[in-house]
Amino acid sequence: MKQVVVHPERCVGCMQCMLACATAHSRSLTLFAAVQETPQPKPRIHVGAGRFNEGFPNRCRHCDPAPCQMACLAGAIYRRDSMDTVMINPDRCINCASCAMACPYGVIRFHEDPLGPVGHAIAVKCDNCSARVAKGQVPACVEVCKAGALTYEEMDAAMRRKTRTVARSMSVDTDPPAIPAGVALLKSIKQSELQLSGS
Amino acid sequence: MKHVIIGNGIAGVCAAEAIRILDATADITMIGDETFPPYSRPMISHVLDGSQPHSKLPIRSDHFYDELKITPLLGQRASAIDVDNKQVHLADGTRVNFERLLIATGADPRPLKAEGLDLKNIFYMRTQDHVKQQVAALDGARRAVVLGGGLVGFKAAYGLLKRGLEVTMLITSGYPLSMQVDQTAGHMILDELVHHGLKVEVGVSACAFEGNGSVQVAVTDAGTRLPCDMVIVGKGVLPARTFIPKDRIDLDLGVVVDDHLQTSAPDIYAAGDVAESVDIARACRWVNALWPEAASQGRVAGLNMAGRPVAYPGSLSRNVMRVFGLDVLTVGNANPQEDAGCRVVETGGADKKYYRHLVLKDDILVGVVMINRIEQGGVLRSLIENRIPIRLPPEILITPGFNFGRLLS
Ligand SMILES: Cc1cc2nc3c(=O)[nH]c(=O)nc-3n(C[C@H](O)[C@H](O)[C@H](O)COP(=O)(O)OP(=O)(O)OC[C@H]3O[C@@H](n4cnc5c(N)ncnc54)[C@H](O)[C@@H]3O)c2cc1C
Ligand code: SF4
Ligand code: SF4
Repeated sequence: MKQVVVHPERCVGCMQCMLACATAHSRSLTLFAAVQETPQPKPRIHVGAGRFNEGFPNRCRHCDPAPCQMACLAGAIYRRDSMDTVMINPDRCINCASCAMACPYGVIRFHEDPLGPVGHAIAVKCDNCSARVAKGQVPACVEVCKAGALTYEEMDAAMRRKTRTVARSMSVDTDPPAIPAGVALLKSIKQSELQLSGS
Repeated sequence: MKHVIIGNGIAGVCAAEAIRILDATADITMIGDETFPPYSRPMISHVLDGSQPHSKLPIRSDHFYDELKITPLLGQRASAIDVDNKQVHLADGTRVNFERLLIATGADPRPLKAEGLDLKNIFYMRTQDHVKQQVAALDGARRAVVLGGGLVGFKAAYGLLKRGLEVTMLITSGYPLSMQVDQTAGHMILDELVHHGLKVEVGVSACAFEGNGSVQVAVTDAGTRLPCDMVIVGKGVLPARTFIPKDRIDLDLGVVVDDHLQTSAPDIYAAGDVAESVDIARACRWVNALWPEAASQGRVAGLNMAGRPVAYPGSLSRNVMRVFGLDVLTVGNANPQEDAGCRVVETGGADKKYYRHLVLKDDILVGVVMINRIEQGGVLRSLIENRIPIRLPPEILITPGFNFGRLLS
């Protein structure tokens, strides 16, 4: 089964994935109309700043077993086995935030959502774009990421590739890790800006 | 294999599910006092505050027992365990044989000693039945008294305030949730509640109730008389372990378990609010009577009973509460003893509507209190639970922009 794989080292911090995610979880499904919806659709992937201000795309890992599921006070969190996805049932969630305390990655947010009950805040997180995948599309964040920081692939293949990259970076005289030239440049500009600003 | 589980709360339910995953044909019997389908106990406070209907309490299907091929023996309590003959005795005289036994009997409200407790509209708050009666009593009620400022007392007071009652809370410590939060956070919570109309009397409890059939006055041990139409007693819980033979199974406050959740008697396990495991942050034996711990202990106990050895890493006290405009999250040991050699890092406070309080022992995080912007609380909990040495300056952990990414690189 294909999964979204995150490669934080390639992230340029452009936050396009956040926009695409919010749009994919809006009622209208287009960016132009989505910004005018109430409640405003919100992203379920979060690009935070890492320690050196580098971009860090953070999303649900769909853990198995899922700590959030075990902690949910209302039985609102379940696993959709056919998609290897941890889901939150918006109609069962009581917005208690017990799951926020359980999630080791801090990827759950609490707000009213266009796809949830009207007038109630609920827990919201990545659903692996189940609706898009059912229509044969790839997850919205992957589609829009031009830096290669988010890919959609078989987990085996992704693991093999990661192992190769690590092996390469540890032996001399081989190819440098595969970060595109543009990304490397952007990253070094960001780093030097940071050093200049003295933080 | 013949498994018997005493208690059909979340620990018992998760254990049964885990056994079933590993063993499709094992014999599973569940003995339970409550006949209602498996439900969310914490959610009864949402029924009290009116945000959820009673009908939403069940968290498993109505056919839970059938679907998992479990034999339910509901509606009565186990009265004894015969360790030598591997039998559980029920109140009606029935004896149930077991090869593996799980004690998952949870906890009962700590009983109050006071006069006039037989008056109507004085409640404990533990079961769906309690909350059903409480909601019925709301009709026509104007004033309420809540005893206790712990988790349950706090939730009761909050629910009644949201229902529009005049609520007076009697607490023995200086601020609510004193076991869970530090003083600064405690006062922020107290101010928020008072701002929404709560009256608080600290350092007192009730010693008598008066009324004509139904409660009308609560008399405090300071001699004050508080007029009221209902009373909720939330003075903590005690592990439900009176039927357990203490000469055969080690008991402390709870049933003492090892790192596979087995009691001192072979083939007898315990999980949930009744079990006393090791607290990771405090590094000593402790009962953490909490839903997520009960669920995961139930699961681990079930796996072990079904023959797959799984270690349980220990428990953590942890809580999330929404208090009107404040979101409060606490993990681990927020109030270390003076002499414990802990260091505290704080930021924010009452005027900021944002507060962080971290407790570190050497470079290991052992306690956290957060008020507002609590989304990253789970990251900090995971650091505490896994005892990961903190190599970052702790100041980074308390900034509003902190996220998982900062732990890497
Ligand atoms: C109002 C309220 C709010 C709460 N809020 C939170 C919260 O926000 N977060 C959180 O983490 N936790 C919360 N809790 C605590 C949480 O509900 C418990 O930790 C959890 O339900 C424990 O599950 P358990 O299966 O161990 O025990 P229980 O849920 O107590 O289940 C044990 C069952 O066994 C039965 N039983 C007892 N003795 C016997 C016997 N001898 N024979 C047969 N049956 C018996 C009992 O009747 C009960 O049905 C709250 C609790 C209450 C009451
Ligand atoms: S929300 Fe967090 S804990 Fe739950 S599955 Fe996703 S990453 Fe895991
Ligand atoms: S906020 Fe919703 S999903 Fe999260 S634990 Fe509470 S009920 Fe479950």
